[in-house]
Order: sequence, then C-alpha cells, then structure tokens
Amino acid sequence: MSVRVYVPGDMAAVAVGADQVATALTAAARAAGIDIDVVRNGSRGLFTLETLVEVETPQGRIGYGPVDAADVPGLVAAGLFAGGAHAQRLGPVEALPFFARQTRLTFARAGLTDPLSLTDYRAHGGLKGLETALALTPAEVVARVKASGLRGRGGAGFPTGIKWETVLAAPGPHKYIVCNADEGDSGTFADRLLMEADPFVLVEGMAIAAHAVGADYGYVYIRSEYPFAIARMQAAIDLARGDGWLGRGFDLEVRVGAGAYVCGEETALLESLEGRRGQVRAKPPLPAHKGLFGRPTVINNVLSLAAVPFILAEGANAYQDFGFGRSRGTMPIQLAGDVVNGGVFETPFGLTLGELVDDIAGGCVGGRPVRAVQVGGPLGAYFPRGLFDTPFDYEAFTARGGLIGHGGVVVFNDTVDLAQQARFAMEFCAAESCGKCTPCRIGSTRGVEVIDRIVAGEARAANIAVLEDLCETMKLGSLCALGGFTPYPVMSALDHFPEDFGGADARRAAE
Amino acid sequence: MSSDEVHATSVVPMANQIAAFFVSQGNHDAAVAGTADHIKAFWAPVMRRDLLALIDAGQADGLSDIARDAILQLR
Amino acid sequence: MSLIQETDYGTPAARSDRMVRLTIDGVQVTVPEGTSVMRAAKELGTTIPKLCATDSVAAYGSCRLCLVEIEGRAGTPASCTTPVSEGMSVSTQTPKLAKLRKGVMELYISDHPLDCLTCAANGDCELQDMAGAVGLREVRFGYDGANHLVATKDESNPYFTYDPSKCIVCSRCVRACEEVQGTFALTIAGRGFGSRVSPGQSEAFMTSECVSCGACVQACPTATLTETRVIEIGQPEHSAVTTCAYCGVGCTFKAEMRGEDLVRMVPWKDGKANRGHSCVKGRFAWGYATHRERVTEPMIRASVSDPWRVVSWDEAITHAASEFKRIQARYGRDSVGGITSSRCTNEETYLVQKLVRTGFGNHNVDTCARVCHSPTGYGLKTTFGTSAGTQDFDSVEQTDVMVVIGANPTDAHPVFASRMKKRLRAGARLIVIDPRRIDLVRSAHIEADHHLALRPGTNVAVLTALAHVIVTEGLADEAYVRERCDLQAYAHWAEFVSLPQNSPEATEAVTGVPAADLRAAARLYATGGNGAIFYGLGVTEHSQGSTTVMAIANLAMVTGNVGRPGVGVNPLRGQNNVQGACDMGSFPHEFSGYRHVSDDGARDLFEQAWGVSLGSEPGLRIPNMLDEAVAGHFKGIYIQGEDILQSDPNTRHVAAGLAAMECVVVQDLFLNETANYAHVFLPGSTFLEKDGTFTNAERRIQRVRRVMRPRNGYADWEVTQRLSNALGYPMAYSHPSEIMDEIARLTPSFAGVSFQRLDELGSIQWPCNAAAPDGTPVMHIDHFVRGQGQFIITEYVPTEEKVGPRYPLLLTTGRILSQYNVGAQTRRTENSRWHEEDVLEIHPHDAEERGVRDGEWVRLKSRSGETALRAQITDRVAPGVVYTTFHHPLTQANVITTDYSDWATNCPEYKVTAVQVARGNGPADWQVEYSAQARRSRRIEAAE
Repeated sequence: MSVRVYVPGDMAAVAVGADQVATALTAAARAAGIDIDVVRNGSRGLFTLETLVEVETPQGRIGYGPVDAADVPGLVAAGLFAGGAHAQRLGPVEALPFFARQTRLTFARAGLTDPLSLTDYRAHGGLKGLETALALTPAEVVARVKASGLRGRGGAGFPTGIKWETVLAAPGPHKYIVCNADEGDSGTFADRLLMEADPFVLVEGMAIAAHAVGADYGYVYIRSEYPFAIARMQAAIDLARGDGWLGRGFDLEVRVGAGAYVCGEETALLESLEGRRGQVRAKPPLPAHKGLFGRPTVINNVLSLAAVPFILAEGANAYQDFGFGRSRGTMPIQLAGDVVNGGVFETPFGLTLGELVDDIAGGCVGGRPVRAVQVGGPLGAYFPRGLFDTPFDYEAFTARGGLIGHGGVVVFNDTVDLAQQARFAMEFCAAESCGKCTPCRIGSTRGVEVIDRIVAGEARAANIAVLEDLCETMKLGSLCALGGFTPYPVMSALDHFPEDFGGADARRAAE
Repeated sequence: MSSDEVHATSVVPMANQIAAFFVSQGNHDAAVAGTADHIKAFWAPVMRRDLLALIDAGQADGLSDIARDAILQLR
Repeated sequence: MSLIQETDYGTPAARSDRMVRLTIDGVQVTVPEGTSVMRAAKELGTTIPKLCATDSVAAYGSCRLCLVEIEGRAGTPASCTTPVSEGMSVSTQTPKLAKLRKGVMELYISDHPLDCLTCAANGDCELQDMAGAVGLREVRFGYDGANHLVATKDESNPYFTYDPSKCIVCSRCVRACEEVQGTFALTIAGRGFGSRVSPGQSEAFMTSECVSCGACVQACPTATLTETRVIEIGQPEHSAVTTCAYCGVGCTFKAEMRGEDLVRMVPWKDGKANRGHSCVKGRFAWGYATHRERVTEPMIRASVSDPWRVVSWDEAITHAASEFKRIQARYGRDSVGGITSSRCTNEETYLVQKLVRTGFGNHNVDTCARVCHSPTGYGLKTTFGTSAGTQDFDSVEQTDVMVVIGANPTDAHPVFASRMKKRLRAGARLIVIDPRRIDLVRSAHIEADHHLALRPGTNVAVLTALAHVIVTEGLADEAYVRERCDLQAYAHWAEFVSLPQNSPEATEAVTGVPAADLRAAARLYATGGNGAIFYGLGVTEHSQGSTTVMAIANLAMVTGNVGRPGVGVNPLRGQNNVQGACDMGSFPHEFSGYRHVSDDGARDLFEQAWGVSLGSEPGLRIPNMLDEAVAGHFKGIYIQGEDILQSDPNTRHVAAGLAAMECVVVQDLFLNETANYAHVFLPGSTFLEKDGTFTNAERRIQRVRRVMRPRNGYADWEVTQRLSNALGYPMAYSHPSEIMDEIARLTPSFAGVSFQRLDELGSIQWPCNAAAPDGTPVMHIDHFVRGQGQFIITEYVPTEEKVGPRYPLLLTTGRILSQYNVGAQTRRTENSRWHEEDVLEIHPHDAEERGVRDGEWVRLKSRSGETALRAQITDRVAPGVVYTTFHHPLTQANVITTDYSDWATNCPEYKVTAVQVARGNGPADWQVEYSAQARRSRRIEAAE
C-alpha cells in the first residue's frame, strides 16, 4: 500500500518551491523503495509554513514545514513517510494554534482534499448543499440564504439573500450568475486560495444560486494574474459538467480579466464581460434588474458564493449562529504585510483588530512595533494602535471611518511614512481610475500633486484645506468606490498620523 | 436611325411586356382587356398610333397576340 | 430673427402611461414613470447643473455636477441616472451640493485651457456656462499640474476639428456615435487622467470608421468637436428651421446664420423624420450653394456648339417662350414638354406641371420619379389604393422583423438607417434581400438573421417563393385577409403561389437563394411579430419593378402586416421631394393627388380652376419623349432641376434625343451634363433661398424656409411663373403659400394643408383633410384606401437582359454615403474626399479570371456602351455580379445601362445589365471625347 503525501500545488506554495519539493520527494521515495502517492492539495493557508508537506500516517496527517527541496533527503532519512521525528515536523496541522483557532466553514476542505477529486469533494461533505437546494423551491433557497445573514464578501456587505430575491422576482427568459473573482485588493488572496484549493465549492455555490433565481448561465470572472485559479476552475467546471451537476439547465464558463483593478467593481466587471471597456455603470439600474447583457444578474464575490453550500447543507442557523452584531457567519480574513503569520484565517466576526494583528498574525517580523494597519484593501483606512479595539465587523469598522472590505489586513511597522501612503492611495486611484467620473479621473491626479506640495512644505495649511475639500468632493461625488473610498486612506493617514505630513523640517525637528 | 426603327425597338417590346403581365392574371379575354386598359391609361395617343402604324405596315414583328388584340381594340 | 435655442432636458423622455408625482425644491411635479429627476426638474423649469447629460443619449452619470439630495436617501445621487419615484422629495440646491459642484468644476477647469475669449465655442459652451452656474471663482490646484493643454488637434475631417485639449471626457460624442448614429467609431482611449476621445484605435477621424454624421459634434458641450466653419467665422446669430434637400428621409435642420452666411446646419430635435440626427450630406455638404461654379445669370445660345451668351432674365425668358411657341406652331401642340424636379419644392413642381398642362396645353410632363419609384406608385395604388408608403418613420420603433429589399439604407438613407439600427440593437430581427452584402448585413452590434443574396433580376421569383412558404405552411393571417382583402383575388393568388414551380426549391436554380434560407426567412417574417418591409430602387428599377412592388404588398397583406404601427410597406424614396413631385401631378397621366386625366370630375375641377381645357389622354413619359425626339416629333423641353443625361439610362440614346431637339431649356444650379445640349440656361435657386415645402418618404410635408436671397435673383417658382406668363398663361402668385393654397383647394388629400397649419404642427403627413385634420401617420388602419386589399398574381418573367458568353457578368448600381445621385451637389463639396470617383466592385474570383488587380483601370462594356473605371476587389458582391455607383459624370455608368424598363411604368432597368469586364489602361476614348465636348459646351462668351 502506498503512502499518501500532500504537497500543495497552489500558486503561493509553488512560488516557494513546492514543485521541486514534490519532485524531490518522488525521487527520494523511489530511491528508498517506498511507494508514495503525491496529492497536490491546496495550501492550508498559513504561507509561512510553505512548502508544507503532509504525510498520511496511522496517527493521522503529520505536517512538515516549511520544506525546501534541499531538505527532502534529510527528511526522508528521518522517516518522513512514516511521520518520523524531525526538526521540521509540525505534527497534526489542525492542532497548530493558527488552525486550531479558526472556524472553517467556507474553507472547510481547503488544503485537506485533492482540489480536483470529486470523490474527495463528496467524501468531505461536498454537494450536500446543492442536493438540499434542488429539493427546495427557489424561493425556499432564497429564504434560507436570507436567514443565514450572509452578506456580500466583496466589501459592500449587502445581504446576499436580498440580492437573490430581487433577481428571483425579476422577469426574464435569461438570467445570469456572475462570480466576481477579480480579487485585486492589496493583501487579499482568499478568493485565489479557495479557487485553487477547493474549486468545486464555488461551482456548487453558483449552481445553487442559479437554481435559487432561475438563471441559465454563469461566468466566473478571474483576474489574469491568477493563472492557477483559472486553470483549476476550468478543470473543475469540466468535471462538474461531466458529473452531471452542471450543463443541465445551468452552465458556467471562466472569463479572464485584463488587469484593471476597477473591473472588480461589479458594473465595470459586467461591462468587461460584455466585451466593452471596463468602466463603471451608473446605478440604477441595479445589476439585479438589468445586469449582464441587460438581463437580471446575480453578481457575487467568490467568498459569498462559496459560503452558500454550507448554509444549504447545514442550515441557515448553523451559519448565522456565528458572528457579531449584524455581521453573521465567518469571514476568511487575510493577514499580510509585515507580519509573522501571513495567511488566511477564517473566523466568526467579532475578533478585535488587536487580537488579529498581535495574537493571530503575531505582530511584525523581528518584533518591530506595529504602527498602522490598513484593513480592506487599498481603499481602506489606516488604523493606528489606538483603534485596535475595533471588532472585526462591518458596522464597527464603518463607525470608525474604516471598512473591512474583502477582509485583507495589511500590517505596517514603525518605518512606514503615512504621508507617502496617502500619496500612494491617490496614485493608486489615478493609476486604476477608469476615467469615467470627474472626481476620480482628475481628482486623484490632483491629489498626488497636492500631497506633494504639502510634503514639500508649500503653503501647507492652505494645501491641507485643499486636500480636505478634494477628499470631500471625491467621497461624495465619485461614481464608484474607487474614487469614493480613496479619501479614506488619505484622510485617515492625515487624521491619525499628522506628524508625517509635517514636511522634512517638521520630521527632522521631531527626530 | 429612322423613326420607325426607334419605335420598333420600343413600342413593340413595351406592349409585349404589358401583355406578358396580364396574361398571368387571367384568361385570354381578361388579358387583352387588362393590356388595353393599361395602354390606354399610360400611353400617350401618339404611341398607340405608332404601334398601330407598325401593325398596318406589317412591321410589328414579334408583337404578341394579346398585345396585338389589345391595341386593335383601342383603335 | 434670433438664434433658436432648443431646450435640453438632459435625459430622453420616458415612455410610460403611469404617472409619478414628486416634489422638487418644494414644488410638485407629475411626470411619466421612468423619467429622470433631472428631466422632471427641467419640466418644472428648474435647471440642475450638468455636463455629461443631454437628452439625445441615455443618462451616463459621469460628470457628477447634477448630484442632488433626496429625502430619506443616503449620499448625493446623480439626478440624471436617478428615476423619479412616487412621493420623492428632491433638493437641487443645498450648501453641500453647492460645495460639491464647485469642487467638481474646480477639477474640470484645472485641466482646461483658459482661452475662453479666443475660443470658437465662446458663448456656446456648456463648460463655460456651468463654471458660471456653480460660481467657480478660483482654481486652487493651480495650472502647473498634469494637463492636456498641448494635445494635438485632429483637423483631418474637412468639416469639424477635434481639439483634445478642450475635452472634458463626458463621452457624449462616444455615446452619440453609438446610440444615435450606431457606428461605434469613437471610444475613450487610455484610462484615468489619460482618458481621451479617440476615433477607432487612436486613428485620425478621417481614416477611422467615422461616417462624419456630425452627431458627435452636435453632442459636444465644449469646443472639443467644433464645426470648422464656426472656427473660421464665428458663432451664428440667427436661425431658421428648414428641411434638408438631399434624400427622401427629410431631416429637419436649424440653419444657423450670420447675416446671409450659412454658418452651420444643426439637426432639429423636433424634426419628426430625423429626431435630431443628421448625416454627412445634410449636416455638412451644403457648400455647393455658394460654389464658384454656380451659374447665377441666364444664358442662351443658338446652337449647342456655340458658347453661352449671358443675357438678362427678360431676354432669356422671352427667348425661351418664343422658341416654345415657334416649335408648337410648327410641330404641333404635343411637340414640347417639361420635366419637374424632385429636388424642388412641392409648389415649384406643381407650377411646372401646371405650366405644361396650361401654357403648353398638353400632358407631356414627367419627373425623375419615372426613373426611380414610379413602380411604387403603380404597385401600391393597385394593391392598397394609395401611391405611397404606409407608415411613418417612428413606426420602426415598434417593428419586430425588418425585411430590407433592394435598399442600402446606411448609404442612401443614413439617418433612417440609424433609427433602424437602433431598433435592431434593441432586438428586432433582420432579413436582407440583396445581391450585395450591404453594410446592414453585418455591422457594429447588428447582424442579419438571413441575407438572401439573390441574383440581380430575380426579385419576383424570391418574393413569390416567400409567399409560397407562407401560404403552403399555413402561416397566412387568414382572419386579417378575410376581414380586409378581396377574397376571390386572394384565393386565386394563393392557388398561384402554392404552385410547385413557385416553391423555394424550384426557384433556387434561378434566384441563387438556398431554399432552406428562404423558408426560414419566410417563417421569420410571418411569425416574428410586427413585420415591416423597407425597399428601395433595387426593387423598382427592374423590368418587373411594378410586379415586385405588388409582390411586396401581397406579402404584407397575407401576413396581416398593414394598418398599424410597426408594420407596413415602406418605400425608401430617393430624393428629398420625390414623393411630393409625384403627389403634385408630375406624371403625364394624372393630376395632383393621383387622379387620372381621364377622370372627368378631376378634369372639370382643374379646367375650371385653371381656365383652360385639358385633354383626357396621357402625355409622354421621359423615355417616350426621347424616343419621339429621335423620331423627329418632339422638339422642345423645359427641364427643371434634373440631369437626365447623367441620370437616365442609355446615355447615348438620351444624348441623341436631346440633340434632336430645337429648344432645350435647363433650369439648374450648375451647367450640368444635360446643359451641354441646352439652348437656354435659367439659373436655379437652392433650398436655402426659397420658401416652400418638401414631402418625404413617409408622406410628411415639411417647410423649407428661405434664409438668404437667391443668388440668381429668383426662386425657381418665380422663374416658372415668368416663363408661364411669357408663354401667355398668366400666373400671379406672390408667395409659395398661395400655391399651396391652390394645391389644397384642388387636391382632396391635401385639403387641410396650408403654410399656417404647417407652422402650427411642424409637419403634416397626407392625407390631411376633414377626416384627418392633423394628417395621417399610418395608413389603411381600418380598411384599405381602395376598399379591399387586392392580391395580384406575380409571375416571374425574366428580364430580356441576359448574360451570355460576350457579357457574362451582371452589373448592378447604387449609391454611396458621401455622394448623392449624379453628384451635382456633393461633388462640389468636401464630400468628394470620401469618394473621389466611381469604382467597380468585383468579386476576387471574377477579378482573378480577368487578371484584374485592385485599384487598376478596367473597361466595362455592355450591349449599350463602354466606359472605364477603377476596380475594387471585394467579396461584398457575389461571383458573377459587379457593382458601381453613378455619382461621377466622368464614369457615366449609364452609358452602360440599357433601354429595358419596367413593364408598367417604364422605370429603367438600372439594376441589371449584362456586362464584360477587362483590364484597361485608363479612361475610354469616348470618356476623353466626352470631357472635351463638355468643356467646349460650357464655354461662356466673354462679356463685351
């Protein structure tokens, strides 16, 4: 009987040498006369452990990591294939604190299974959600999703069930399910990991959505920077079609983005899917009424759709029992930046920012002080330590001028210059602006110029007033969140770290 | 080109074309009547005279029977 | 007179019967559901600042100036994209909004040249207006930041200039190109701050897909896209609303003037034919009116080989009248005749036919409709009872299936084509029946469901086969037929079309149309909802033209597609007033309103009104006149505004006819080709120089308004009146309105028409009488005008013009967008930059066989004659078919065309000529000779 060995095949693991590790393991096993079966699973989600090799033993799955190809001979010699002791032996991965503290509902299978094995998928609870859904009327499915309290994980936090209800009620010979997998926020990677580690759950979620609203076709719009996810989703869709749960009244295809951040905005994404320039549409009409090709369309984030199979399989209460305030269920939080433990951490809403940064992420590398945290991508506010008591919850973050967005948490140490970060926010907006609305198109460029003047000490007070007015114009006047939220990092930097805007003289004086 | 040649190349085929249409509309008598009505409604008298002159001169070669009957009816 | 300003409501009108009540700034307003807050405010007279919104295109929401506050709603929604809702309470002016708008304007102006005083749009610039409206006083960003101030102008288009430095990226031009014109030539290139309007992939306007319709220029709120003429001479100061003098669409324009200088023609939003749109001809190609070649003084000569001698109007008129009198005295009353012009006004046309019937005393009057839509008149009168199309253009907005037969709307009727394309983009289906792959078959966001690429000359076989499918497959609307049509004729017809020889399978060998395609097309037309047929000269200009029109009428009747909006039979008329010219009694067999001269009642009416006795037999048609001229019986002609030498078939025969006449009087703007055979030249006036009316393809009578004095001294109607007086038949109209009053008195379908009513209503579609005081948009609503609809048997009779070893190819002819008919007007404008010469389209296979290379000279030869032109190799035409246009006198495509004509109306068979094509090495000998002769003939004697 052969030994089953797991070597992640997702993009992050491969980037640190997982392919070479897999090759080395195969070679070493052959040399040692051991029959092994290498499974390319997805990463468990703690990237500092990659390449994380797991070996199936009678005692369970034993992890080793981080493993480099050069480490393989030593590990094999130490009896890796039997779970032997070694300095890199981690023991059962689930028992590691980073994993033990999680509540994995959406990522339940991620890292555990062979991503493209339908057998694995079924064995780990896959398809129960779809089977349940198909036994229900569309309205009943929508009612369950509503009852679960699931909110859009793309950032806006709009209740998914209500969106579906609108599409269900919209008349039409054709309706669409569109999955927004254009994951472009800085410090976010949960969508990618999910599509690479457990692509079937997204397909299942979309199939449930299609049944719930009466859609006949779906698209997964994936950014071109995710070639692994693209390939894996395509393969999963083909397998699902072959298995008969796609292609009968509902089918799916993958479409690849072309590198525009703004195409992650739902209406720009629809324009792009239609073959047009990726540019934001004014709402109304809502996509739920007139979306893709003018048809009623559900457009949801990967994480929203992937949460649905659990809700159908285990019941709305099982999901809604978790959470905090109006933020129900779990959120796959992504910890990034200058942190010790970078990765995906799925947890019910409600942990404080401080717990996430200091305890879970382990603070900055080398013990440097954490100076600022940006939550929710490039349009999120910079929070100083003084706001670390903020619970991870849509409303709590909004109340403090921030947003949780897609759940990305980027940690900065004490070397960060927040004036430069504010400038970067404007620069990012200028680079990614679709150019449709005036506040974003011209305002972002002017924002960079004004911050430069402030930093250079030119009429500082007057220019700060101009910057504040500009931020107000962008916030209230922009057509979409790109221009509308760029003021948040800018103004939070200015509000919480005014000393960084003091110009060279002020900084020298401060030092 | 003499005047007769001109008319030989226009009024005869024109009459034939009209007759060809009315032939498809009904029996012989109806076709003759239709052709005659059409010629009366749309042809200047001089054209009718030209066609009759050609017939009289034996120069209306190729004129169809229906067209001939129609124009003779209009004489 | 002042400059007419149209109200811009910001967003298009909503079409809903449900009304919504809301409050805007404390004032209640009730508007149709779906109306934007912006438009609702404007209805109240409240102007919300805006830049990207304009009511010709859908709301876009990009400028962010029109933001408002709505009670109970978060944020500041854009009023252009927010629809009204019941009980909504909107504030359009609050301190928050004021600051926000000022902030947005500050951003705009931070990237805009500060050259208002020297800007071409000064005084006509929405950006300037908005800066004022929001109270912008300073730009705190300074002017040394990133900007586009040094962007290079694109001056490639002769009519307008694109200055990117002034662009505010509102996308109005891009959206107008898409939504209004449907060409999709423009886009926004670049992203973010670098965004800029771009034709195609950063091409120049002239080399891009732009069709120069002007919609973008019209939509531009700044000086970014500006008429070159405005840049050159400045803003207009007064204007008048008038009707375009090009095609039969009949677009309404605002002629914007400085003194007597025309600055620009701006499409009029309330124009019911064009709804604010235009094409490159009407919008821009009016420079011919002041072209240096325009002749403004009368001229006479004894012989066509003499040079012209400039004379006074008195002398010219007296000379012409005495010549006609002399000829009639010598050769008889019937030896002279006249031709009315489809380019002149109804009043002028009416007057010319009146002059012929009274002053000449015969019915020898005809018009250019003879060579275009005379079969329409005959065919639709026979089947429906009225010699005109059944619908208005708005009807297309309710059409589900369009059938386009022998028409090329995007070139020949571009403004209506844009309306068709808009409907097609909204989901209507399309069947194209044409030998050539016209643009409509496949263009941006449009693709025909079926293109039946038939062999030229087989229309009747194809249409009868369509009827065969409809009848034999049980798709006929029998209830409609029972209620509306002559049942005996129907039964007879149904039996005929059901014959096996009329099946698609049986006719496929003749027509070249695959039977399966034809069957599918028939099913689609019969079952796809509202079916409308649009056709052009590809239907009429055949030996079976009238039969084809009747076959079309049969199809519409059998499917129940006549008598309501969205359906019908829609002839796309060629010239601006070809419908009117026909209505006005220009044909030799009928008086105005299509009453036959043998109709005693009608004749009595005219005899009493005109005080003359009138013959009861028809006069000569144009081809008959020419035959009689060659025969020596027809000696004098008065031709107003038609160039028969270039436009009529078999040029050499036309030339022989004209050469045989003793007095040819040509009234025209230019020394046209026909004038080479003229003895008297009477200078014509343009549509800008006279009052009157034109009637378009939808029977819509519209005003033409004089905006400048006639350069030649007289409007055309005044010249006709003088000639009539000199002939001894007195006319004493002091204004065209008096002529229209006479028309209305004598023509039942025009009974309710007067200039005053036209001014009140904007336009009127005839019939307009006591029963329909405001006119008739859609005809045959409850019953056919003739009583019962008449099915006519349409047996396919192949044309005599047949291909053979010597002439193995079929030539068919048509038009191109930038040129108009014989080109007399458009060739004298910058439009020639798009189409400098006629070319021969030939399929690669046929070209290969003949060694013909793209762009090289070829000789084109038929049984009638020979010419030479350059080849363009394209698979737009099928193998065995070649195609050319007839815009240029040098080519003279009509040297090639034959004498064959429609059996019922003598409309020439332009669309089918058997030809051979061979490599050539330049113009044919006769082209060189003709040019020399034309040059000689146009000599004008030096003044002494």
